[in-house]
Amino acid sequence: MRVPLSWLREFVDIELTSEELAERLTLLGMEVKHVERWGADWEQVVIGELLTVERHPRADRLSLTTVTLGDGGEPLSIVCGATNIAPGQRIPVALPGAVLPGNRRIERAEKMGVVSNGMLCSGEELRLTADADGILILPADSPLGVPLADLFGDVVLDVDVKPNRGDALSILGLAREVAAATRRPVRQPEIAVEEGSGPPTEARLAVDVRDPDLCTRFVGRWVSGVTVGPSPDHVQMRLLAAGQRPVSNVVDASNYVMLELGKPIHTFDAAAVHAGADGRATVVVRRATDGERLETLDHVERVLAPDMLLIADPVGVLGLAGVMGGATSEVSQATTDVVIESAVFDPVSIRRTAQRLSLRSEASSRFEKGQEARLARLGADRTAQLVRAWAGGEIAPGRLDTAPSEPGRSRVAFRPARINRLLGTSLGSDEQRELLSRVGIETEAAADVPVVVALQPEVLSVAPEADGAITALVPTWRRDIAIEADVAEEIARVRGYELVPSVTPDTEMPDYRPSPLGVRELVRDTLAGAGLTEVVTTALVSPRHVETFVLRREVPSVGGEPEPGGDPVGVTNPLSRDHSLLRRHLVGSLLDVVGTNLRHGTEDVAVFEIGKGYGRTGDVPREWWRLGFALVGAAEPRAWNRPARRYDLDDAKGILDLLAHRLGLGRPVYEAETAEPLFHPGRTARATITGRLGAIVGELHPDVVETWDLRTSQRVLVAELSLEGLAAGRLAPEHAPVVGRFPAVERDLAIVVPERTPAASVEALLVAHGGALLRDVRLFDIYRGVPLATDEKNLAYRLRFGAPDRTLTEPEIDAAVAAVLGALPAVGGRLRT
Amino acid sequence: MDLAQLTRNLEALRARAVGAAAAAPDTAALDALEVGVLGKKGDLTAILRGIGALPAEDRPKVGAIANEVRTAVEAALHEARSGLGGAELAARLATEALDVTTPGRPIRRGSLHPIIETAREIAEVFAQFGFVVYEGPEIEDDRTNFQMLNIPPDHPARDLWDTLYLDVEGLLLRTHTSPGQIRVMHEERPPIRALLPGRCFRYEAVDASHASEFFQVEGLMVDEGTSMADLKGLLDQFAHAMFGAHRPTRFRPGYYPFTEPSVAFDILCVICDGEKCPACSRTGWMTILGAGMVHPVVLRYGGIDPERYQGFAFGMGVERIANLRHQVADLRLYMEDDLRFLGAFR
Ligand SMILES: [Zn+2]
Repeated sequence: MRVPLSWLREFVDIELTSEELAERLTLLGMEVKHVERWGADWEQVVIGELLTVERHPRADRLSLTTVTLGDGGEPLSIVCGATNIAPGQRIPVALPGAVLPGNRRIERAEKMGVVSNGMLCSGEELRLTADADGILILPADSPLGVPLADLFGDVVLDVDVKPNRGDALSILGLAREVAAATRRPVRQPEIAVEEGSGPPTEARLAVDVRDPDLCTRFVGRWVSGVTVGPSPDHVQMRLLAAGQRPVSNVVDASNYVMLELGKPIHTFDAAAVHAGADGRATVVVRRATDGERLETLDHVERVLAPDMLLIADPVGVLGLAGVMGGATSEVSQATTDVVIESAVFDPVSIRRTAQRLSLRSEASSRFEKGQEARLARLGADRTAQLVRAWAGGEIAPGRLDTAPSEPGRSRVAFRPARINRLLGTSLGSDEQRELLSRVGIETEAAADVPVVVALQPEVLSVAPEADGAITALVPTWRRDIAIEADVAEEIARVRGYELVPSVTPDTEMPDYRPSPLGVRELVRDTLAGAGLTEVVTTALVSPRHVETFVLRREVPSVGGEPEPGGDPVGVTNPLSRDHSLLRRHLVGSLLDVVGTNLRHGTEDVAVFEIGKGYGRTGDVPREWWRLGFALVGAAEPRAWNRPARRYDLDDAKGILDLLAHRLGLGRPVYEAETAEPLFHPGRTARATITGRLGAIVGELHPDVVETWDLRTSQRVLVAELSLEGLAAGRLAPEHAPVVGRFPAVERDLAIVVPERTPAASVEALLVAHGGALLRDVRLFDIYRGVPLATDEKNLAYRLRFGAPDRTLTEPEIDAAVAAVLGALPAVGGRLRT
Repeated sequence: MDLAQLTRNLEALRARAVGAAAAAPDTAALDALEVGVLGKKGDLTAILRGIGALPAEDRPKVGAIANEVRTAVEAALHEARSGLGGAELAARLATEALDVTTPGRPIRRGSLHPIIETAREIAEVFAQFGFVVYEGPEIEDDRTNFQMLNIPPDHPARDLWDTLYLDVEGLLLRTHTSPGQIRVMHEERPPIRALLPGRCFRYEAVDASHASEFFQVEGLMVDEGTSMADLKGLLDQFAHAMFGAHRPTRFRPGYYPFTEPSVAFDILCVICDGEKCPACSRTGWMTILGAGMVHPVVLRYGGIDPERYQGFAFGMGVERIANLRHQVADLRLYMEDDLRFLGAFR
């Protein structure tokens, strides 16, 4: 809300500087976002008086003027194109060197052969009024030579009024806050309606509220014989400073009242309101019928829905209640009689209608926060008063009012001791009462209503006699104060939060609970130590992402987490198609990171992310945690003493092995994955540690590198893993190994197997047949070539044997090795001799 | 040969050998000298061959002198070797010298993402005060994300959260971590000290200060006497941990439907120290989080009796904290994942 200080001063005296005031309001909960100098962009614009106005000798449309600044100096010759000027008028003069709004610079210039020493300004050029045609004629007593800003400049506070304080969306409402902050009285606006002698409102206007649940009060007034035209300059100036564009004196009156009192008002051309059976112009307040249409003031044809509340007449629709008027009943130059509508509508209905039609307006934003019933009457009267003052005419006697009885102040009981317990303070009850009085809340020492603790899900209250409860009499405009905690907030904000002490809690501690982040932290630290950089990418991705990054066989979840898969989850109101679906895999996002960085010229990219996949089965959503990583470029960067070594599948698997070790999961078992279209069919593996780790790891398929536009000839390694504890894990302590005092014995075996035999199956066989004394199996060499057959390879394993209690004997080891060798034919293997 | 002659020969050998040892150019010469003088076929043995011609009573005298000579020559050889060996080692070390000013062999460097790290640091601060971490789902229902937080359907306060709705009736992407408050209350009984970090989503066009996906950390403490003074004390500790021990702080009124009273928590501007600059909108203060006393309605939806228990909640944007700590001016950097940016972090 934009608040011109000059307007605020009508209702409360302000002795603070604008900066001080801004800070006080902020500390009271009315946050001032900006302090704007209104008129700061009128540099070198001063007040002058026209001495002479003559026709330009060579241009009919121009006038030659002389202007004095009252300083006794030579009059200035200025060429002017406006026609509303005459000698003796005081006008704003932009001197050479002046800068006007929009950074428009004024210089001495020659116009059709005559030198012009500056410019006479229109209201529009100064953004003071809406008039662009004529020069702004200033009051006759405006002091000559004085900078315009001194006279018409202002300070405008931009106040962020929170949604619960609809009452403060008004100059008067903010004046009440200033009054509370500075302990000054508030001056109420003088609302005085001078009614005419013609037929009473009741004889001219009828209202038929057919949906009283959505319109709890309707107050109507009638002004006849108005002359529609521009508002007085000072009104236009004020509206513009407050951010409201002037329209006409009648419309401006309603906008002025909305800003001043916070009461949205609608005015229509009475001639557009059709008469009912009794001959009176009849306003009908009703819900729309399905498919009904209305052209709104912005000249857009709207299709209406049955839950929208309308202002209509017996024939058709006049406007959308509380949101926007209709074009047909708009007040125009031809309007002579004006109907003033000052109503209270159901906030939810207004909000829904405005949202459905994307028509949020100043009016709707006030209605949806709830309106004080009393304001309907005050607003109607104030508008009638201003219409008559600015547009003339005669106010019909009396008002139409569907609910003349106005509710009084509500009574909210509170316990001063409970307030202190909540705030951690020790304010006496008298002090609390005094603080409340500053925001217009009177109190009664004894409570006669229950202390309401909460209103939802159902009312929770305690008896009034409890703990010396006090009753707060809440002003009608403070619809936000309903329970005891609301009173606590009033006391705290009026007193200032510096009163709340700062202490470290000394209450009981909760039971120990392990952090769900423990495993993730260990994974992050491990991978960063292994040279990978953590990234965070968006969970919302494009449909192309979801369609491209599909696994035929998902990486299974471990540790009881939901399994991946199901249908994709989409956003119904996405910001863009690129962010319209929740991803199911991290791989695609990581490839985007790879692509972006390669394009930036970063050649070596090793990144990981811990994030979620999302899916649903029917209406049941699920989320699962995954770790993903992508590697491209140098695993070992080139240095002056070493060439670069590029990432390959073994590096990727090495990272898996490292993680499995660091998390204490054991050693992954790899098997070939040849059928995932995203991956290289010969360079991809599934990794498993049953119940603890699942993964797919491999080279990206060259087709995907191409279609995903990664623009690299390098191999791209990617992996996606499920890991025990990633979702909410804690690590079990490791069991210390028995480090034997007796030396282990190593035996190297060179085993020849067919090329197609996976190393993992040979290793599994060694482990299965190595016997109880076998401690460890390591593959340390692979050899292909002479004298082996072309479809053979030699796998060299080092087997370690040992026992905790003795040194092994040669025959024991020989027996164990013999057992292994005896099983080799099962994998088509033989010992190389 | 008589005793005197033999003795002279021995003394001469000693003098020659000691002299030769001292003058030897390298250890190889010493080795040759040792063999030539003390070896089985060496000069000393040759001289002693003449001992058989001496009378029996003279023989021990010659033996004693010969031992003296041997000891003296050995000592001379040892001394010469020490001198020559040190020089040779020094020469070898000299040839092994490296240019020690070259850079080290590069080891791949990884980095941790500043947002996740900042969230971790935030959790560490509050862990010290007994706050334990909980997590909730990112796909939330309207009831938990809004209604149970005292934000009914069609409430104007909903404008504070521009929401991304999902293609499943009633489901949305959580707009804040606050629904975690409800989930924790359903899971735990007071005393509760919970911290809820996580990813959040809003319908928000992305620019330097807005993101549609971002991270928040929510805090919740509920007990019989937990007051706003406790809230202030903890937030002061937090501000001091993150922004320096003497960073002034303040509470000012705020508004959230799920807290009453509600406050905004400000720290003195870290750029201008209160002198008022563009970074703090010329107020001298920077808001780092919102907080307040848990609204009784929220406690009730959490199954906690608001007459007996009370508590506070706070919520902060992790990016906001990270921006201030790392002097990042543009939120978009965090999710652009440019390694030239991320690589600067630990
Ligand atoms: Zn600053």
